[in-house]
Amino acid sequence: MINPVLGRELKERMRTGRAFVVIGIFLSLLVLTVYLVYQGTKTTGQIQTDLARQTRLGRDLYEWVLFVMLALVLFFVPGLTAGSIAGERERQTLLPLQVTLLRPRSILLGKVLAAMSFLVLLLVVSLPVMMVAYLLGGIRIIDGLKGLGVVLLVAALLTVMIAALSTMAKRVQTATLMAYGFTALLILLGPLLYFTMRVADGSHGNDLENPPAVLLTVNPIAIVADATAGENNSTQGGNPLRWTRSQVVKAKSYNSDAWFAWFPEDDFGAQFRIVNGKREGFPAWALGSLILTGVAGTLSLLATRRLRTPAETER
Amino acid sequence: MSDTELIEIEPSDGAADDAAQSGSTEPPTASVAVRAQQLTKRYGSLLAVNQLDLIVPRGSIFGLIGPNGAGKSTTFAMMATLLKPTSGRITVMGADPSVKPRTVRRRMGYMPDNLGVYDNLRVDEYIEFFAASYGIHRTEWPALIDGLLELVDLSVKRTAMVNSLSRGMKQRLSLARALVHDPELLILDEPASGLDPRARVELRELLKTLNGMGKTIVISSHILAELEEMCTDIAIMEAGKLLAAGPPREILDRLGGTRTVRVRFATGITESFTVADDAEQTALLRRLLVDEERDVVEFVEESGGLEQLFMTITEGVVQ
Repeated sequence: MINPVLGRELKERMRTGRAFVVIGIFLSLLVLTVYLVYQGTKTTGQIQTDLARQTRLGRDLYEWVLFVMLALVLFFVPGLTAGSIAGERERQTLLPLQVTLLRPRSILLGKVLAAMSFLVLLLVVSLPVMMVAYLLGGIRIIDGLKGLGVVLLVAALLTVMIAALSTMAKRVQTATLMAYGFTALLILLGPLLYFTMRVADGSHGNDLENPPAVLLTVNPIAIVADATAGENNSTQGGNPLRWTRSQVVKAKSYNSDAWFAWFPEDDFGAQFRIVNGKREGFPAWALGSLILTGVAGTLSLLATRRLRTPAETER
Repeated sequence: MSDTELIEIEPSDGAADDAAQSGSTEPPTASVAVRAQQLTKRYGSLLAVNQLDLIVPRGSIFGLIGPNGAGKSTTFAMMATLLKPTSGRITVMGADPSVKPRTVRRRMGYMPDNLGVYDNLRVDEYIEFFAASYGIHRTEWPALIDGLLELVDLSVKRTAMVNSLSRGMKQRLSLARALVHDPELLILDEPASGLDPRARVELRELLKTLNGMGKTIVISSHILAELEEMCTDIAIMEAGKLLAAGPPREILDRLGGTRTVRVRFATGITESFTVADDAEQTALLRRLLVDEERDVVEFVEESGGLEQLFMTITEGVVQ
């Protein structure tokens, strides 16, 4: 039997026009991104004859679309998920739900799955937009799917965290503020800590005093940037994902002797973690994802406890 | 009122006989729906429920009466597995809600005092959702929905959106939701609040029907006249304490409360008499008819007995 909360949420969500408005905005912004990147390339006229430029445009397009997609996910997930449990409290529908035979974890799971289902729908409908880059030759189909997969992973982790946070608030407004604050913290805290520590250190050498590069990896943008890196020049040039990628690589190179050294010992000149033609060490995106998974797991446990009624000790 | 004045009256149904037979002063568990013993709930310095001893007989309509802040909703929340007592013990249908909440939830339907419904669902979808939440198999839903909607008189609204229903209809839908798993015990916190007179009468009739189906109903309300007519047993609470419990008439008699009887004679004259209990009331009638040979055309006990009792034994204490 389908999770009852999931079933109800999907019915309610798709019944209102809001879902279609969100899908419309999401797709429009992605299409606008493709248009702007394409128009912004001065060499557009040569694309037909210059394969290298065309490929580069394709790659640019892919990374821009991926970044905008991620930015939209980071914007929409808090808005769509913040009210999941707080909304039940505000509408005073949580008590009748809590006295049913549904377990707290089923209620939370239903809420997360409902939000995730909508995100999957959003990302799947945007796949054709991303595949414009494939038509230009900049990426392979597997790259497109990988990009989509890692954005989905980040979206899933963020959804779990925001849904869990939603159990801590009594009003949707408070939950929404908390959700956006938390998302901003998730994006900015690691880099802020890292750069502050780097300024404080001042040695700029490759030594133990340098801040740990792991601080930069606990970040949704860094995770997507690292997971979708191509093998050539993927840290050069101008788009946010490339810039982020180059910062992570720099951080790793500054800190290769620290405990973090099991990260690939990059040749800074090569700008990426390919050493002697093969990957070494533990990828930054996987480490970042694992840490975020830990945070999401801890928050879910706390949320499940919050959803349990005070009288509930039976498992 | 002091603690020593607190009275506890044994339930009015066969439970008392069972207890007598078993040689115990307490009714046996099989005849008790809810039993609270020294039940206490404290929120910081606020004592919401203070050493409450309560017995709700099975098959009764039990009214919990008290001013705002008396501890009624807290008591209901403890019965409904939503709150854990600070001390004391409570059993609902023989199980402790703190230890076996799911066991209690299978046998209890709870309707909180606030009216929270999912506005973007249809009426039948709303019931389906709760049927699924209670693990009722999908194949049983159509018959269940038909039966419940007929019971609460919402059959014609089956496919209407919940947000299009009136308050009274939403209240009845909430009741249908509480009944979805066919519980033996219904806990209804202020179900009539905000309803117009017609909707209140309909709700009262519905509760009587449910009681006739063998369900025990525990209800709180501010409308005492309504409870007086409907309840087989009542408990009066104030400031977290139980002041009195038992069948309304017995409480009135035991507390020595008076009632007013209005008598209209054939001459057109109407007189009011104050009597203490049923015996005095019968004696009055006999005196008027037999001793004084007066032509009585109407002999009516003025309503407000429960209200009068409530006003007599509560002191308006607010915590």
